[in-house]
Amino acid sequence: MSKRIRLILVLSLLVSMLGLTGASLAQDDDGVCGGEPVSFTFLNFWGAAREELMNQVIANFQEVCPNISITNNVQGFDGREELVASAVASSNPPGLIMTTRIETYKFAQEGLIIPVTDYVQAAGLDLGEIFYEGEIGNQIYDDLAWTFPLPTAGGITGLYFYNKDMFRAAGLDPDNPPTTWQELEAAAVAMTQTDALGVEALGASVFNDDPTGDDFVSWLYTNGGTLYTDDGRVVTFNSPEGVETLEWMVNFTNTVSDGVEATTDFWSGIIDSTPDFPFYTDRMGIHFGNVSFFGHLQNNDPQRWEDTDRWGIALRPYNGDNPNANHAGISGLSFAWGYVIPSNLSQNVQDAAYEFLQFLGTEQDGGCYFLFEQGRPSPVRECNEVSAYYDANPYWDMVLESLAIDVSVPVTPMQAQINDILTRAVEEAMFGADVEQVLNRAAEQAQELLDDYWASVDS
Amino acid sequence: MTSQSLSAAAPAQQPSRMNRFLLFMQKRRSWFIGYLFILPWLVSLVIFDIYPFGMNLYLGFTDYAVGPVSRAEIIGLANFDRMLFKDDLFIKSLTNTLYYLAASVPLTVGLAFLIALVLNTEIRGVGIYRTIYYVPSVVPIVASSIIFLWMFNTRFGAINQFLVAAGATPLRWLSSPDWVVPAMVIVSLWSFGTQMVIFLAGLQSIPDHLYEAVAIDGGGLWHRLLFVTIPLMTPTIFFNLLVGLIAGFQVFTLAYIMLGPNGGPLQAGLFYMMHTYNNAFRYFNMGYAAALSLVLFIIIFVFTIVMVWTSNRWVYYGDENDM
Repeated sequence: MSKRIRLILVLSLLVSMLGLTGASLAQDDDGVCGGEPVSFTFLNFWGAAREELMNQVIANFQEVCPNISITNNVQGFDGREELVASAVASSNPPGLIMTTRIETYKFAQEGLIIPVTDYVQAAGLDLGEIFYEGEIGNQIYDDLAWTFPLPTAGGITGLYFYNKDMFRAAGLDPDNPPTTWQELEAAAVAMTQTDALGVEALGASVFNDDPTGDDFVSWLYTNGGTLYTDDGRVVTFNSPEGVETLEWMVNFTNTVSDGVEATTDFWSGIIDSTPDFPFYTDRMGIHFGNVSFFGHLQNNDPQRWEDTDRWGIALRPYNGDNPNANHAGISGLSFAWGYVIPSNLSQNVQDAAYEFLQFLGTEQDGGCYFLFEQGRPSPVRECNEVSAYYDANPYWDMVLESLAIDVSVPVTPMQAQINDILTRAVEEAMFGADVEQVLNRAAEQAQELLDDYWASVDS
Repeated sequence: MTSQSLSAAAPAQQPSRMNRFLLFMQKRRSWFIGYLFILPWLVSLVIFDIYPFGMNLYLGFTDYAVGPVSRAEIIGLANFDRMLFKDDLFIKSLTNTLYYLAASVPLTVGLAFLIALVLNTEIRGVGIYRTIYYVPSVVPIVASSIIFLWMFNTRFGAINQFLVAAGATPLRWLSSPDWVVPAMVIVSLWSFGTQMVIFLAGLQSIPDHLYEAVAIDGGGLWHRLLFVTIPLMTPTIFFNLLVGLIAGFQVFTLAYIMLGPNGGPLQAGLFYMMHTYNNAFRYFNMGYAAALSLVLFIIIFVFTIVMVWTSNRWVYYGDENDM
């Protein structure tokens, strides 16, 4: 897309935003916006090109609330966990801290952050109406809302990208991408090429980089399985659907790409944000990338991006042999971003931080602008319905369809540990251990953690 | 001002408070000034070492998660019970670390000593070689880890290309559980430059007359090495071994970057510090992580004591009669 067209699209989006912004975040004489000067630091990890975008969002906000001064404190990703834990526990914490879902839950459990439920009620917001269910569900803990989601945690597992050139070269129909596991496997076999060193071209893989618990859960939900019961108290991933899913993943990896080691090798050192990523060089037929891949494709393979006859997207395949299975996506197991307000701040700083959070999370020239500029969908339904999105992304309908089928899995603050337990089980299975045995052992360990957690909550 | 002049100033009276202070200072001037000079270090020792160590000791017996320490509840030996009887990864991470240490420390010390021996000769351009070998030590570990990620790539990596050129079978360095630790050991060799510099300093302090004595006795290079260089370098070898051992137990960054928080395939590269880090910052089991740190401290302490104790048998500090 040329710069001029892009500029026109952005301008049209901004014009369409104008009416919405002023109306929904008008200056409130009784509130912090428009009142006494107040300042706070916004600790986040939106580096590189996103830093300027966030600065623009802050500038947009300050047009509405000129008395609130915000320092955009962008930090690197190295050591992120230590930084966040130290910041939230500090005696002088930032006003707003970017956290993952599990960090939000843990900090909420420890009383280190405040819920935003009262603010939301005072502002008259209907979160279920504003956000996709799978998105806002990730930010609810103990029946309270603690922040707003940004960007989407969904759209990460529900979609896949496919290379139509490779489909044609392998004799596959590029207009009918795989919809079931069985079709996926057949397509992957047709496109994969191996040699003495391993995989030279990968048709498809059931995992990216290394086999993880997250990969397993993504496939589990396309086989009608679940991770936990709806109340999040009982582990269910070792169900027959779970065993069938992991067995299929192992068989797929062994059949298609010569086993786990060869597949992991293929992924070693490749990043989809660089031009040598195999999808761009016709060495990867199907990529289970998240929505940020739209931007990467546009930047790294602009000719392909412009020509929809060379690439397409489809929903993650489901088990065609299971009548209860269907397309599904996971809206962030533990990695759903939010922005939390520490509890040991003065009231006026908390109020100011919330004003900005609401602007960032729900307003058109807040988070909507920020994500549109990156070619990513918003967790806010209304933002995604702007026509500019449809012009900018030829497959926008399917992106929205994917967001709509994403589910928020009911996790607890123990999820990071449970993810690692699951990852170990998946790895062991990939390296030849008995699937049912490793899943049962993982379930036992995970259940023990959940029992401890719920016992502490219930008491 | 001397004590005599102070006494003369007020012969019949009790010395004033100031004078008493000055007298006190004068008598203890030597140790006072000494302490004054080490005060900055002492303050930092208390704030950054002793206090954190004390807190770690305390937290190791609590269920501390995150936030104010006052919320932590003492749970006795529960963390240690969990470590020994319930946490499979404690043993696994400790075993992985010991395996890494056993290979990495001797190889790094040996390589550093070997290169230092070569660079202690009068070859042309020795300064350039010394610089070249030292530079990797100052490359940030994040950068070198990413470079090695590429070098270990099965298909395109330089190491496998070299193996193939030599007629050997390429290896799956980072995707096979069997090769993960050897790969980490190879990366650790990259930064031998610091130890090499220490060896060089040691080599240059060996008196020439000792080598001359060997030559007079008809000894060659091998005898010079065996009967002069190595014995006189044992204090430096001991120092490098000890420092390498302590650093090796704390291996973290390179493995975390190259293998991820779980330590690669089947946790083959999950080292002790990674397990501690995961518990502290990913799982928010800070109390348990503190207990793990405490155990690591004890392990390193025991290893150090054993090494110091055995050093009496093989480290040569000079003939006491010569002193």
